[in-house]
Amino acid sequence: MDLITLQQTLNNGSFAVLLITLLLYWSGAAFPNIPYLSSLGTAGMASANLAIAVLLGARWIDAGYFPLSNLYESLFFLAWGVTTMHLVAEAMTRSRLVGVFTAPLAMGITAFAALTLPAEMQQAEPLVPALKSNWLMMHVSVMMLSYATLMVGAVLAIAFLIVTTGQAVTLTGSSYGGGSDRLQRHTATLPKLDSTPTTSGSTTATLPKLETPTPTLLSPQRLTLAATLDNLSYRIIGLGFPLLTIGIIAGAVWANEAWGSYWSWDPKETWALITWLVFAAYLHARITRGWQGRKPAILAASGFIVVWICYLGVNLLGKGLHSYGWFF
Amino acid sequence: MMILRRSLRILADLRLAIVLLLAIALFSISGTVIEQGQSIGYYQSNYPEHPALFGFLTWRVIGLLGLDHVYRTPWFLALLVLLAASLTACSYLRQWPALKTARRWHYYDQPKAFEKLALSAELSSGSLATLAPLLTAKGYTLFQADQQLYARKGLIGKIGPIVVHVSMLLILAGAVWGSLSGFFAQEVIPSGAQRGITNVIDAGPFSASQIPHDWEIKVNRFWIDYTTEGNIDQFYSDLSVVDQEGQERDRQTISVNHPLRHRGVTLYQTNWGIDGVQVRVNNSPIFQLPMAPLKTGSSGRFWGTWVPTKPDMSAGVSLVARDLQGLLLVYGQDGNPIGAVREGTALQLDEDLRLSVVKVIGSTGLQIKADPGVPLVYAGFGLLMVGVVMSYVSHSQIWALQVGDRFFIGGKTNRSHILFERELVSIIESLEPTPAQPDPQPTATVS
Repeated sequence: MDLITLQQTLNNGSFAVLLITLLLYWSGAAFPNIPYLSSLGTAGMASANLAIAVLLGARWIDAGYFPLSNLYESLFFLAWGVTTMHLVAEAMTRSRLVGVFTAPLAMGITAFAALTLPAEMQQAEPLVPALKSNWLMMHVSVMMLSYATLMVGAVLAIAFLIVTTGQAVTLTGSSYGGGSDRLQRHTATLPKLDSTPTTSGSTTATLPKLETPTPTLLSPQRLTLAATLDNLSYRIIGLGFPLLTIGIIAGAVWANEAWGSYWSWDPKETWALITWLVFAAYLHARITRGWQGRKPAILAASGFIVVWICYLGVNLLGKGLHSYGWFF
Repeated sequence: MMILRRSLRILADLRLAIVLLLAIALFSISGTVIEQGQSIGYYQSNYPEHPALFGFLTWRVIGLLGLDHVYRTPWFLALLVLLAASLTACSYLRQWPALKTARRWHYYDQPKAFEKLALSAELSSGSLATLAPLLTAKGYTLFQADQQLYARKGLIGKIGPIVVHVSMLLILAGAVWGSLSGFFAQEVIPSGAQRGITNVIDAGPFSASQIPHDWEIKVNRFWIDYTTEGNIDQFYSDLSVVDQEGQERDRQTISVNHPLRHRGVTLYQTNWGIDGVQVRVNNSPIFQLPMAPLKTGSSGRFWGTWVPTKPDMSAGVSLVARDLQGLLLVYGQDGNPIGAVREGTALQLDEDLRLSVVKVIGSTGLQIKADPGVPLVYAGFGLLMVGVVMSYVSHSQIWALQVGDRFFIGGKTNRSHILFERELVSIIESLEPTPAQPDPQPTATVS
């Protein structure tokens, strides 16, 4: 099979797989008693991840340079990052709820790239002179990975907000400094899934109950579903933030080596800075006494919009150094 | 002294830091929405008084607040200075003491201490001797006494944020130093010409020694490589640095992404144009005519010139070029196209008039810069990258206490609660005598 046919197959295939994956995760959440749905969801996400990787690899071989030259390729790279971060997040929590929120994101991005973009924009294009640099691979790929990671983290913050709607949230897992204080309740043993309004019954499930002490004995107080989502979102954003930092710095150093200015307030770089500032504010809000819970999550959720403006919205302005290589 | 302490405390307040970060973000957004650095006329026509945009955003408001150059306004710079002060105060008053506290650990010698920890357990089995190797295997540093144990890992995660803050200060300091002592110039030099650096666009108050006066730039040749489809592949300028005696001190062919550096000054390939064209009419000597950029109103760039075809200049043709590939379009007096002519060839205009194009001469657009703040900024960049990665590490602590046949274990971490919970629970699990068999006691008391 030649590379073009392979690309076309993978283009449609990854979209189809992600659509099925989305349905699997959603029905898994709606009917938690049906056994294999969530495992199938994981398998779907993993195969979509692989399909996109092969698609990008084929384009790399085809065009001879790193496949991030236009919107189509960058959208697929973004979808690859989202599916990768989904797998990381799912492995971290062993929770099937993650896919309920990440699958629509990955599916949406792939649908946009595979279905809405006209065929001529899906073609690999020659690089403009400014992009002919090894820094391209470094800067753009790290930026795209950070977007994907931050999007997944922000989506999980949205999940946390949905799960805790109308609740006074008491989080053990996020308060200042230690933040591991025991919630003072009647007995030592606490159900690990108390007060979870989710439809899925076994979401936080980390380990089966390994001990059943008499009420006088001390036993570990497990994270609630809300706390798990909150901490997961924090850790994923915590991963995206260094990536964003490194990506921006790589861009700044590249700009300084190529054009003699590490910062020129170009709209794209300004928005990258805005994204950085919003998530920096989020990271600080989490350690502010009395602000734990929904307040930082709202910041993180608004970060989702900021990342999208940074990634796509700025190109609508069509100004600055970053306007080429795109279609606007 | 009291006032100083109090203002330091306010500066170190996290809520101030958050407000500052978001305020800088918000004003940065305004700079991407409102066009920067345009003329007053532009703002007058785009932001009229009636109807005012959003009811208030008129060109007067923009001018008053400096929203046409928001990143250079005193109040935006004041926000950055405030952020720097907040970073300093926070590092000094919060992070440094927190690191010292983290280093100054202590054993838990009362069972009551474990009740405060969410992740703690009281076991009838287990001992320090069995726990210690488990913790070592997971990368913990151990401290042990007779009946007590303290273990920790990830202290680096407590140092990371300090490194981040210090690096941010370095970057800000480097930016300030660069703007005070650096300069920025632009030169458009035709292929074959030599120029000094005179067109200085921006220079800091301490930049006089940076601007070179004892050497000039000679453009030996400027050319563009085109792809087979006719798109631009790369721009090249073969440059020489020539001193006052006319000696060549340095020579390099620069292109986009590959600048020339000479004594702290860097020359970047940023722009190009068409400077002129060499033509002959019939058997005349070669004339070099300057070509000027034409205003087209579209994104395409065109250069044009006029070639007289009669000695008294009463008649002539126009030449238009759009790139350096050598093709010129010829238009007659009436504005109608006559034909196209390629570099090195000739076009018969009428029976006894022949126009030969000898050469199209390009000009290179150079950006010339010196920024002595860059080493400081780069040091900040390096530290910042290291610092943010360090800051991802979670600082985990585990305590254990043996009281008679009771064994207490508990722990906490500051970032990675999910993974720490799993780690500690698995440790507790392996301390249990028979982890596979649940206790026969009924468990239905929960939920």
